[in-house]
Amino acid sequence: MTDKPKKALVIGGGIAGLTAAWELAQSQVDVELVEKSPFLGGHSISYCCKATDECVKCGACSVDKMLAQVVSEPRINVTLGAAVAKVDKGGKFTASLDVAPAYIDAEKCDNCGECFQEFRNTGAVVRGYSKNNTPLYAICADAAKDVDAAKLAGVCPKGAINLDAKATKKKINADTVVVATGFTPFDATKKPTYGYGVRDNVITGMELEALIRQKGQVVRPTDLNPPAKTAFIQCVGSRDARLGNLWCSQVCCAYGLRMARKIKYANPEAEVKVFYMDIQSIGKNFPAFYTQCKEELGFVRNIPVDVYPEEEGRMRLSYADEDTGERKDEIFDLLVLSIGITPGEDNAQVAELFSLDQDQDGFLVEKGEGVFLAGTAAGPKNIPASMAQAGFAASEALKYIGVTK
Amino acid sequence: MNADKKIIQIATDVLVIGGGTAGVAAALEVAGQGYKVVLTSKEDKVAQEAKDGAVADLTAKAEANANIEIMTNTVAADVKGVPGKFEVTLKTGDAAVEKTFGAIVVATGLTTTVLNDAYGLEMGPKVVSQSELEAMLAEGKLEAGKTVAFLVGFGQEGNPLVMQRVLDSLTALTKVADTDAYVFVGDIKLAADGLDALYAQARQEGVIYFKTKETPQVTVGDAMTISILDPVLRQRVEVQPDLVVVEEAILADEDNAALAVPLEIEADNNGFLQPDNVHYFPVKSTRLGIYLAGASRDLLSFEQGLEDAGNVALEVKKFLGDGNLEVPSNTAFVDVDKCTVCLTCYRCCPHGAIYWDSRAIIAESACQGCGICASECPNDAIQLGDYADDAMAQAVKDGQGSAGKSPWIVAFCCKNSGLEAMKMAKAFGYRVPAGLQAIEVPCAGKIDMDYVMDAFVQGADGVMLLTCHNGNCKSDKGALYASWRAEEIKKMLAAVGMPEDRLVCASLANNMGRTFSEISVELERSIKKAGS
Ligand SMILES: Cc1cc2nc3c(=O)[nH]c(=O)nc-3n(C[C@H](O)[C@H](O)[C@H](O)COP(=O)(O)OP(=O)(O)OC[C@H]3O[C@@H](n4cnc5c(N)ncnc54)[C@H](O)[C@@H]3O)c2cc1C
Ligand code: SF4
Ligand code: SF4
Ligand code: SF4
Ligand code: SF4
Repeated sequence: MTDKPKKALVIGGGIAGLTAAWELAQSQVDVELVEKSPFLGGHSISYCCKATDECVKCGACSVDKMLAQVVSEPRINVTLGAAVAKVDKGGKFTASLDVAPAYIDAEKCDNCGECFQEFRNTGAVVRGYSKNNTPLYAICADAAKDVDAAKLAGVCPKGAINLDAKATKKKINADTVVVATGFTPFDATKKPTYGYGVRDNVITGMELEALIRQKGQVVRPTDLNPPAKTAFIQCVGSRDARLGNLWCSQVCCAYGLRMARKIKYANPEAEVKVFYMDIQSIGKNFPAFYTQCKEELGFVRNIPVDVYPEEEGRMRLSYADEDTGERKDEIFDLLVLSIGITPGEDNAQVAELFSLDQDQDGFLVEKGEGVFLAGTAAGPKNIPASMAQAGFAASEALKYIGVTK
Repeated sequence: MNADKKIIQIATDVLVIGGGTAGVAAALEVAGQGYKVVLTSKEDKVAQEAKDGAVADLTAKAEANANIEIMTNTVAADVKGVPGKFEVTLKTGDAAVEKTFGAIVVATGLTTTVLNDAYGLEMGPKVVSQSELEAMLAEGKLEAGKTVAFLVGFGQEGNPLVMQRVLDSLTALTKVADTDAYVFVGDIKLAADGLDALYAQARQEGVIYFKTKETPQVTVGDAMTISILDPVLRQRVEVQPDLVVVEEAILADEDNAALAVPLEIEADNNGFLQPDNVHYFPVKSTRLGIYLAGASRDLLSFEQGLEDAGNVALEVKKFLGDGNLEVPSNTAFVDVDKCTVCLTCYRCCPHGAIYWDSRAIIAESACQGCGICASECPNDAIQLGDYADDAMAQAVKDGQGSAGKSPWIVAFCCKNSGLEAMKMAKAFGYRVPAGLQAIEVPCAGKIDMDYVMDAFVQGADGVMLLTCHNGNCKSDKGALYASWRAEEIKKMLAAVGMPEDRLVCASLANNMGRTFSEISVELERSIKKAGS
């Protein structure tokens, strides 16, 4: 083939964007992958393995696997810390990017982690979640303002830190675009009665994922001990008419029950209760999985409204007993809010840039020519469904640019 | 590494089994990649039922596509050969033809069965199935002024596909004059696009839902009643419906089981053709060259079936390419002189890569290089590329003395899980024993008992077998084989008076760097403790 290879622009480096980029590259298309944050992988790169004595098919390991493939694929060129400022369409797409300063020089950094060790408590240096993130560390400009700049610049034995690095601009020409900008996790402070952000032992499902990934087990934020009693509250921010969030997030029953069982598996003495409206079927063998859940966990069909502080960082929940209808009070060591998926915070802007529509909930809808959607940008989805949609988006993009019919 | 890449020629025609929407869409997508396609339907037509006109449109396109041959009333009666060269017998009535295909796409459908037994109900004019109701609504046969009650979620756990049908019917019902609708439901399964909104909308239109744990009591006769304990009002509630609608289970196609055998692919325990294993996402089967679209692999919606079609075409392209298949260097090879045709390998290969012709033969186009056959062959007749027995023994030998004063720990790591977890532990600065030597294996099923015993003989203080979690092994049972072998080795260690805890067999995911660190440090600690 003598034709110049076609080029695709993929916006967003979560599992959907990674998968789309990978599939396009497999069809000999050059890919420009643009990610806003300093790390590839999106939300799900921070998730933990939820296996007990066997894999429970949560899909978290698939994200690491895909990321490893993408970073070693020469056809995919990654730009981190980049935002699309403008898009011109005249037959082709020309995207103008604003690229954040690269304070850590990827060429020089060998991921030794000295900077992180020294500055992790200040927040000035942050670490990615996967070994396949290169560099594995990034400087957070805001937090870096509060630390001794000379000390921060000097901490790196390789001289890779340059705090004078400047923001740059970049132009990318592409024949087609895949938008995979993902979701925004529900902000749990919008349900203030749960005391998220006020009480340390109230955490979100997202935080629990990262906690297990990093520590290998569940511990209470305040005393770092395994909690004896944990409560999960489902549907936080989803299926909530008062918030106007009239959708099921499709993932929180899955991750909630899987992590609840993981806690119980690591510590059979622990007690775990799940407060819910409806439990959603997840995965191929859900009936068997759910039967095990019912044996190991407590289930209460009631979403508690108020959380009261108790001694030693504990919390008391009040709820109506399912059988008697009477008020019940119960004290927990750790409260996990199963937060859901809400439309990406950039959706309005992304829609404008790439001529997309938004549905009544704010998720993106395809409209323009040559722009395809993948993953949670288009609505709630789990990892496998995001991958399937990304593959489909790639195959549609290939048709659009004439690689296939 | 072999310097010369070996290329074999393969066929590039593609067979698509199943004339439903996913099958028609897959045929179009695969043809779009430039391959010739034969699309078979066991019925006298391919997908026609109109869903927003989209289906009829697809079918018309497929019929007009010169690269697609449609064969109706046709079944794949037999499949022989190997990926890249499947010899398929297609039967149309009594006529049979043989055709050669490089790849096969399976796109079978779903079936339904009504769950009246769960409610102790007999079907009749007043007790109808979900399908019967749908037909009544479509034909405008439901009279005005009726009270309709749905029973759903007590005969089965349920899923969004089941719920979607109920909600769609409710939407249609609310358009029939003076209808009252009640839904008796266990859990409302709404985890699909738009269902929560449909649910809320029906409620606004006056549909009443009772969510209970107990199965509703239904009495039939001239006056039917349904009674439950209302969990909100905390009292018995009775409804007198004119029509009771009984839920249906949606199940895998009955043909799947019969197809799985000649295709040599592993089905799941619900009769779908994709095992419950994340490595096969989205459309792979256990065998190379065979791909799954839509409901052949899982309970999927119409839209998901169309998505699968696109994914199938990508996979077919990756496998068939231009018909010149490059054989990976790490495929297994049988030594003819050693093979006694015991067929152990044929039985244990998880990827349908082995056949026999007076000796075992491994199809290069099908082997996924797991090495399970090499470890299971009782005659050591099989070797696997870079992971041949002598290379593995050499790797252990090379590690001798590398530990210095620290305990020497030989860790056989599956490259998909344990090895990645170790790399993660190191990248994140988690503690890893100084004397740990990692040896990569393509799958834990490749860890011979001999390798482990040899490591101990060479002087290893501890040995680790690090596998994927059960159910996450890319080659299905590799992790299980490793754990069985570990049990055997522990018995052998005990027999020679060696502490069994010197051998650790553990499962990890690639993201479990922390746990890798903990397990390996714990082994080092116990070795040191015993030594002091
Ligand atoms: C708490 C929680 C736990 C979950 N656990 C599981 C689980 O165990 N299993 C499972 O299958 N699913 C789980 N999910 C769902 C899972 O998170 C999603 O399916 C998955 O992350 C979707 O991937 P994505 O690529 O669409 O989006 P994201 O993960 O959100 O990735 C989007 C990426 O795009 C980038 N981006 C955003 N805007 C822009 C822009 N304007 N320009 C450039 N880049 C941009 C973001 O920085 C991000 O990297 C969970 C969800 C939640 C909320
Ligand atoms: S539980 Fe999740 S992360 Fe762990 S092995 Fe299974 S799919 Fe992978
Ligand atoms: S998945 Fe479960 S927790 Fe999440 S919104 Fe749906 S019902 Fe609620
Ligand atoms: S297991 Fe070994 S001896 Fe038996 S058939 Fe296979 S190669 Fe031959
Ligand atoms: S290496 Fe694995 S896939 Fe290949 S023939 Fe042996 S058992 Fe089958």
